[in-house]
Amino acid sequence: MPRKLSTALLSALLLALAGCANQGGPIVAAAQTIQVGTDLAVEQVFNRHLEADPRSLDPTLAVEVPSMIVLQDVFEGLVTAGIDGDTVPGMATAWETSADGKTWTFHLRKDARWSNGEPLTARDFVYTFRRLVDPTTASEYAQALAPVENAMEIAAGKTPAEKLGVESVDLQTLVIHLRAPTPYLLALLTNVYLSPVYEPAVKQWGNAWTQPSHMISNGPFVLSERVLSEHITLLKNPHYWDASHVRLSKVNYLVIGDFTESTNRYLTGDLDWTDRIPASDLDRLKQVVGSQVVLAPNFTTAYYAFNLTKPPFAGNPKLRLALSMAVDREIFAKYVRRGLGVPAYNLMPPLPGYDPAVPEWAKLSADDRHALARKLYQEAGYSESHPLETVITYPSGGADVRRQMEALSAMWQTNLGAKVQIYNVEFKVLLEAKLQRQPLFYWDAWSGDYLDPFTFLQLFTTGNDMNYGGYSNSQYNALVDQASNTNDVAKRMQLFHQAESILNEDAPFVPTYFWVSAHLVKPYVKGWQANLMDRNLSRYVYILAHQES
Amino acid sequence: MLRYTIARFAGAVPTLLIIITLAFLLLHAAPGGPFDSQKQLPPAIKANVERMYHLDEPLYEQYFRYLGNILRGDFGPSYQYRDTTVNEIIRQGFPIDALIGGAALLGALLIGLPIGIFAALRRNTAWDHIPMGLSMIGISVPVFVVAPILILVFAVNLRWLPAGGWARSFPLHLILPAAALAAPYIAYVARLMRGSMVEVLNSPFILMARAKGVPERLVILRHAMKPALMPLVSFLGPAFAGVITGSIVIETIFGLPGIGRAFVDGALNRDYTLVLGVTILYGVLIVACNLLADLSYSLLDPRVRY
Repeated sequence: MPRKLSTALLSALLLALAGCANQGGPIVAAAQTIQVGTDLAVEQVFNRHLEADPRSLDPTLAVEVPSMIVLQDVFEGLVTAGIDGDTVPGMATAWETSADGKTWTFHLRKDARWSNGEPLTARDFVYTFRRLVDPTTASEYAQALAPVENAMEIAAGKTPAEKLGVESVDLQTLVIHLRAPTPYLLALLTNVYLSPVYEPAVKQWGNAWTQPSHMISNGPFVLSERVLSEHITLLKNPHYWDASHVRLSKVNYLVIGDFTESTNRYLTGDLDWTDRIPASDLDRLKQVVGSQVVLAPNFTTAYYAFNLTKPPFAGNPKLRLALSMAVDREIFAKYVRRGLGVPAYNLMPPLPGYDPAVPEWAKLSADDRHALARKLYQEAGYSESHPLETVITYPSGGADVRRQMEALSAMWQTNLGAKVQIYNVEFKVLLEAKLQRQPLFYWDAWSGDYLDPFTFLQLFTTGNDMNYGGYSNSQYNALVDQASNTNDVAKRMQLFHQAESILNEDAPFVPTYFWVSAHLVKPYVKGWQANLMDRNLSRYVYILAHQES
Repeated sequence: MLRYTIARFAGAVPTLLIIITLAFLLLHAAPGGPFDSQKQLPPAIKANVERMYHLDEPLYEQYFRYLGNILRGDFGPSYQYRDTTVNEIIRQGFPIDALIGGAALLGALLIGLPIGIFAALRRNTAWDHIPMGLSMIGISVPVFVVAPILILVFAVNLRWLPAGGWARSFPLHLILPAAALAAPYIAYVARLMRGSMVEVLNSPFILMARAKGVPERLVILRHAMKPALMPLVSFLGPAFAGVITGSIVIETIFGLPGIGRAFVDGALNRDYTLVLGVTILYGVLIVACNLLADLSYSLLDPRVRY
């Protein structure tokens, strides 16, 4: 039976978090309102799709998206994601930075509690951050704290964890000392792997502290039940500081790896929300459920990287540019990705506040672009009688991925006469081959860890962990380095723009499309908003009264 | 019989050891490691993780450490699911596979046996040709075609049964996966039973029984049935192991939390311990099922003694 919100005050405002004084001005959570008279479902239960089983429910050990999705409902860091994915206060209500940008002081909320009712203090963060970089924890995300003083020395076992540049001045004040100014620190801190963990539980239970009966957390929900590869159930945490504004009483995550299966489960009413839709299913679903298909830009770029250590691509930017120009991205996004992609001519996905460096040739008509591509192709030493013959390697990913590769190969054949064979390998095999610098031309993609150009532009700095193609340009490195050490936001963005322009000229990769996230969302699911990072915390969601489907 | 059983189990030990050794070596020979990710880990951090799981030790040390652990019944931590052990994954997943496999096989017997017997009794008539023709379809159409059709018809269109999942409306969730898995086995059982029954019905002792005036119903049930079941029993042992180990596709399509899916994901993610643990379990299962089939011969045929 529907329940009506009776008081105007209650219905007018779900979230109105206090603003926080920091150098960039106040950060306020997007206030989310529920209209007076809205019929809410009596059972506030949200059935969400999860595309894989979380590899760990220990924030410090979590590395992949499914873990992050669940954990952001169960834990909360100093700052967290708002309804629109932007950074909003979490355990900290305010913070300030020193003049040199190297010292950050966070003021924790006094009503911060663990799910057992115990107070959460700055010491919990000190313990967590030390645990993250401690070599015996063996966290794969230890490098997340690389900007913090001594973090990497501790991770390498050269310095004790107590030397980490994090200290609790008092129970509510946490100070972080950085090696260099890190303007994206707040965005980094929204990541759930930097959420606090409860020391007594870790000490008592070891790895088993993440089991439902042992876990103590600090987020809007607590872990209630977990059946491996099947479902995870969360219940509302009454000790959460903002519990009065959390509408849902229960969140069911159903683990379904097969997207056809998740679509079927959505259509039969098991799911209220799906994580992904296969491109091949999009048109059919638009016909069947119409506006329940929700598409939104995502902070991810798909590209094809060149191996710059071997011929034919080493020292041959003209050939690389020719291949990039020969890709008809509009056609690719519309007909191959079927709308699940936005044409990409550069590395950085659109980001408010950043002017992306889009190459001039992107504005040419298709015919002019192809003509320019053929000219460069010939200047690079190739022609119809002497075509480029190479192989592009991509990881197994089903029919959708194969169709994309076939389309690309056909474009290079048609527009240039290049013969590019497609070669499919298992994901781990491709990783190993990339480490050995074996593939000449290969699929890759990157999702930004935080909303800042640095998360993308660092990828092509010399020696970066993702720079498998061996791209190296000292001018580029210097610009990225300068930008990452600058506190002046406008100047940083300008430096990143310049660096990206160099990438466009050198063409160490072929950007193809920016990812579009695609969800199926029941009309009665409200309070969520598509956003660039595709972070959709259940905390903001509420369920309208509806007939069971 | 006890001595025979013990001897058979003892004989399985070298087989299992060979399986473990081969699986161990093949897994480590496969390109890529369990902690390779799209973005390479800094060397110091990768070293920390490898040290934690003893992956920094020489291969032979890892092998003997692993053998020592499994002798204590410890299959080790999963590399893929860092706060879970392989024992936990098997403990949660195996009963589900066993239940679906058992239900599928039971269904196959309950449906396939009468069809086979009936076809044998109505040999070379439409009652024989039609079910045997249909059974060829059952054998030929793969499970990944049958399962989505069942989902589309019974879950998406008719809404009689759930489209997948496990814990939320058990035991209704059992029906479609078990039916999809049972389809080819119904066909096998029917064809096997028909062939076997036809052969037995042509035997001299059946002719003798009929000559003595034994009613046809008793000829079938008392004299023909038991020997006709013999080939089926030798089929059922490996078949039971087959439905359990072969339910990987079913688990994926119906989103079931069995170990088959964990096994495949484990192989793709180089989760050495998980893959080895499930390999050992499957090995033991196949040995045990074959042994059970052998032992049950003695119940059906008085000439067989152990």
